Amino acid sequence: MSERGGLQPKHQRLALVVAAVVALVAAAIIATWALRSQASYFYVPSEIVKDHPAPGRAVRLGGMVEKGSILTRPDGVTIDFVVGDGTARVPVRYSGIVPDLFVEGSGVVAEGRMQANGTFIADKLLAKHDENYVPRELKEMTAAQKKLVVEETTAK
Amino acid sequence: MRETLDPWPFVIAAYAIGVIGTLVLVGWSWLAMRRAERRRDGAGR
Amino acid sequence: MHGFANPKRFLSFARPLTPWLLALGLALAGGALFWGLTRVPAERLQGETVRILFLHVPAAWLGMAGWMTIAGASLAEIVWRHPLAAIAGRAAAVPGAFFTALCLVTGSLWGRPAWGTWWEWDGRLTSMLVLLFLYLGYIALSQATAREGASSRIPAIFGLFGVINVPVIHFSVTWWYSIHQPPSFSLGKSAMATAFQVPLLASTMGFTCLFAAVVLMRMRALLAETQAEARLRRRAREADGDAGQLREAGA
Repeated sequence: MSERGGLQPKHQRLALVVAAVVALVAAAIIATWALRSQASYFYVPSEIVKDHPAPGRAVRLGGMVEKGSILTRPDGVTIDFVVGDGTARVPVRYSGIVPDLFVEGSGVVAEGRMQANGTFIADKLLAKHDENYVPRELKEMTAAQKKLVVEETTAK
Repeated sequence: MRETLDPWPFVIAAYAIGVIGTLVLVGWSWLAMRRAERRRDGAGR
Repeated sequence: MHGFANPKRFLSFARPLTPWLLALGLALAGGALFWGLTRVPAERLQGETVRILFLHVPAAWLGMAGWMTIAGASLAEIVWRHPLAAIAGRAAAVPGAFFTALCLVTGSLWGRPAWGTWWEWDGRLTSMLVLLFLYLGYIALSQATAREGASSRIPAIFGLFGVINVPVIHFSVTWWYSIHQPPSFSLGKSAMATAFQVPLLASTMGFTCLFAAVVLMRMRALLAETQAEARLRRRAREADGDAGQLREAGA
């Protein structure tokens, strides 16, 4: 079976495949690295505040709806709220129907444009939920059960 | 203004597609296997 | 590596394994789905829509695992010239494509009530759609090469290179800001309550058994077809040989 000197054909093929896969992975890593900012689906508030997208340019803004920030105007369909990412905050205005998962303290992606005055005018709101899955009946549990569920479901 | 969608049509549609699709995939693969093996065994020595 | 090279040896374990995997898969997946539809509590934010989880996650996992199977078979084909590898790759392609499509459809049905959209051109969704197209390309390529009698190493190279999309899908939600949430499970940590976790595990195991059973059945079918063809060719050759001898004798 063993050939003195020189590689066996199957080892040659293996080396070739390994080299090809390494090159491919490197190319993919470089490509995704280059795409890092372009391939992102939205900008977070700190990027918006830092880079100031031109007023009127269509962008997506994503972040957390700040607790206590949702205000409904007298017309009943226009809402104002603040999207934050922990470092920066952007005020947003939106008129229209709101998805059911759009709530304070949860994620949101808003499509629209910045105004010169720093307010983001949204044409479309998408709700973004996090990776935590918690039963709704948590409220009806005993304190001990609740503590157990919270313990096993806090990821960070 | 909330959308207040009824989630059940979405859930039922997903389950129907998933269950029927999986059963069709399994059944089709089973029949294709039986047919191919029978033809091989029928083709004689 | 060549332990299962012999089709006889492959069949000797594939034959009894197929019905067991089928029965286990149907019981686990069916039970988990029934439980998921009727017994699982509504989620705090998503409400009833969370039940789609028990189809969506196994489908996503098997869509990616299917391509890993193709990539593994392609490696065995290219490096070791394993005789069953081409058959294994071809057998995994259709179920892999099915589960990828199911992942996209259930994801869309989940996205509409949860996010407020059927489809977004976001990193995770787009890379999953790319996976479906890779499957369709692989299926077309492997069928064409098999029909034309061309080398099965051509689809194998495609299968090996296509594997680069799998980590892209997995990390798309970490590398890029995405509408899709990051994974709920990481090493040793879970962000999911047991009430969802247990049926999800059962359904994932059940669908994985069904996937394995389908791959085995399709391998057996492909193997039987090649065996039947080889037998027909041999008989035709023998008949030809007999006819030639008769002609010679008659001349």
